[in-house]
Amino acid sequence: MTTYILRRLLLIIPTLFGITLLTFLLVRLAPGNAALLKGGGGEGGGRAMTAEQRLATIKLYGLDKPPLVAYVDWVGRIARLDLGESWIDHRSVTAKIGERIGLTASIAGSALVLSYLIAIPLGVTAALRRGQGIDRVLTFILFLLYSIPNFAAALLLILFVAGGDYLNLLPMYGINSINASEMGTWGWIWDRILHMILPVVCLTYASLASISRYARVSMLEVLGQDFLRTARAKGLSERVVILRHALRNALIPLITIFTLELPVLIGGSVIIETIFSLPGMGQLMLQSLENRDNPTIMGITVLAALVTLGSYLIADILYVVVDPRMKYE
Amino acid sequence: MSTNPPVITNETYAHRVARRFQADAFARNGLRMVIFLFILATLAPFLANSHALIRVTDGQTSFPIFLSLDPIEWRFLIYVPLGGVVYLLRRRLLTHWRIALCLVVAVIALVEIVLAYSHPINDPTNDRDRAASFKLLPPIPYSPIETTRDQFAPPSWKHPCGTDSTGRDIAARMLHGARTSLSIGFVSQSIALFIGIVLGGLAGYYRGWTDIAVCRFIEIMDCFPSLLLILVIIGIFESQNNMFVIMAVIGFTSWTGVARLVRAEFLRLSVQPFTLAAQAIGATDLRVILRHLLPNSLGPILVVGTFGVASAILIESSLSFLGFGMQAPTPSWGDILNESRRYIDFAWWLAFFPGLAILITIMSYNFVGEGLRDAVDPRLRLK
Repeated sequence: MTTYILRRLLLIIPTLFGITLLTFLLVRLAPGNAALLKGGGGEGGGRAMTAEQRLATIKLYGLDKPPLVAYVDWVGRIARLDLGESWIDHRSVTAKIGERIGLTASIAGSALVLSYLIAIPLGVTAALRRGQGIDRVLTFILFLLYSIPNFAAALLLILFVAGGDYLNLLPMYGINSINASEMGTWGWIWDRILHMILPVVCLTYASLASISRYARVSMLEVLGQDFLRTARAKGLSERVVILRHALRNALIPLITIFTLELPVLIGGSVIIETIFSLPGMGQLMLQSLENRDNPTIMGITVLAALVTLGSYLIADILYVVVDPRMKYE
Repeated sequence: MSTNPPVITNETYAHRVARRFQADAFARNGLRMVIFLFILATLAPFLANSHALIRVTDGQTSFPIFLSLDPIEWRFLIYVPLGGVVYLLRRRLLTHWRIALCLVVAVIALVEIVLAYSHPINDPTNDRDRAASFKLLPPIPYSPIETTRDQFAPPSWKHPCGTDSTGRDIAARMLHGARTSLSIGFVSQSIALFIGIVLGGLAGYYRGWTDIAVCRFIEIMDCFPSLLLILVIIGIFESQNNMFVIMAVIGFTSWTGVARLVRAEFLRLSVQPFTLAAQAIGATDLRVILRHLLPNSLGPILVVGTFGVASAILIESSLSFLGFGMQAPTPSWGDILNESRRYIDFAWWLAFFPGLAILITIMSYNFVGEGLRDAVDPRLRLK
């Protein structure tokens, strides 16, 4: 197993190289570079750069150096968590990301946990009643949820439950009410929870739908196995057969599903944070794109790719740890 | 299981897939819906236009609508029926595929050349108020980019889906927006299929270092969340509102699923006896790939392609929603939703109708994909 994990770790190296190279190429090929070197970028008004900023940026991407040298230089900086300085407010990109990553991680994380918690019972229920009414209704509803674009859902939820002409149960946007600081600790926490409900719901439902479909298929596959017949034959109660023997085996393939959901959640958080005005990474990304703040854009892109790569790695390792039948070639 | 003895038929694989696809109600209706949407998108200029179909003034008959069509509308009007004709005549065309290919290329070249030199007549006046002894207006007598004084009109008989902040008719914008979504979905997936088949095919057929290189490339691409990568590319190259660039970028970032699948299929098929037989009688690699491996993996490829179209449409509308895709005045479902954000507290129709349109489109494609997957799955063959 150790050899397998070591091999898997070694395979990261070319991928890391590719991720950084691709990101770097995007900056090199960006049409803004010539203007940047000439001291341009001024036509946007707010994004005019000072002379030091321009020098810092040229240094960051080594735009004055040959591509290879510049690339090696830049990777070295990333390794030291130096992502450069934002073109907009002179602050370090690492610091800007640092103060926002917590919110995005907590929203995406709770969406992921919630969708697993709801999806598994749904998928298992559908599998146990395969072909019956409840299975068909669940399958259809999940299909419907899976096809609703999250921005449309977010807008309609705001319209109907958060301050439109209809119900006014939940706050429309932001992470806290304006007067949150006067509410005391518990009041503040409750206020924060209320603000998080809609964003988390909007990120959860699509992942929920796809995870429960996987859960259903996985459970169906296990239900057809011989060891379940053995378990029933030796007189175990149906409850024990399902929960101890079938479910635990059905859960193994679901470990890797979160790697499929993570990129979707990262993309989704750009949309959801924009709609609900949440100061997270997604919102930062969109603001940076609108302001053509290249160092920040590149910083977030590299970070998102590294997080996804990390999740692939964790999933692969977890898989061999959990399932002793796995062969490590 | 049925007690009937196995019936030996000369049913081909394609027929079996079609029969099993037809047996699935969701898939059947999903396909009908997709075809219906394509018909709506093709006929959009005739369904929603402020120009009359036929107008008779002072004894002179004119067809103002045809003069107002722009190149993209002509393309839709010609290419979608052309696709239908090619499909209907597929048997005859396949037997003479060289002539057929030349004909299709010739038609496309002719259309493109004529379109390149023609300019639509931009007539800003509408035919609704124009006096004429006879006029036949489209069912929705408003053009998608035409502003009226009816701002924020809720849905009514006059405006079935209401109007937006500048009085544009939402029904007209949605009909014309359908062509944006459908064509971006279709073209970007064609690009993705092409890249995926070439790279996946090379990896699966030649194995070894080619395979390792392609697999690493797939893994690298998969590490970038696709929406994020597309946003970055479009943002950095400032190509918002450029339909062809958006198609290309979506295509270039969503081929990995196809490549994985084609690689797996080719790995499996290239050791099968029929491939070895073809190689043994001296068939070239290209011939083996194109005539033996590719046709045998077409079913699963089609499945991935169908789901891909659904996700491309979703990505396009997300981009437009974020202001990085097609932008007003070009009609696009995502863009209507983007505008609705500012007026969400009262103008529900701005969010509801385009949201519903995206939902129906994506769901139809997903139903078709599900149905196809079940239909081509050999494990279900006995049922």
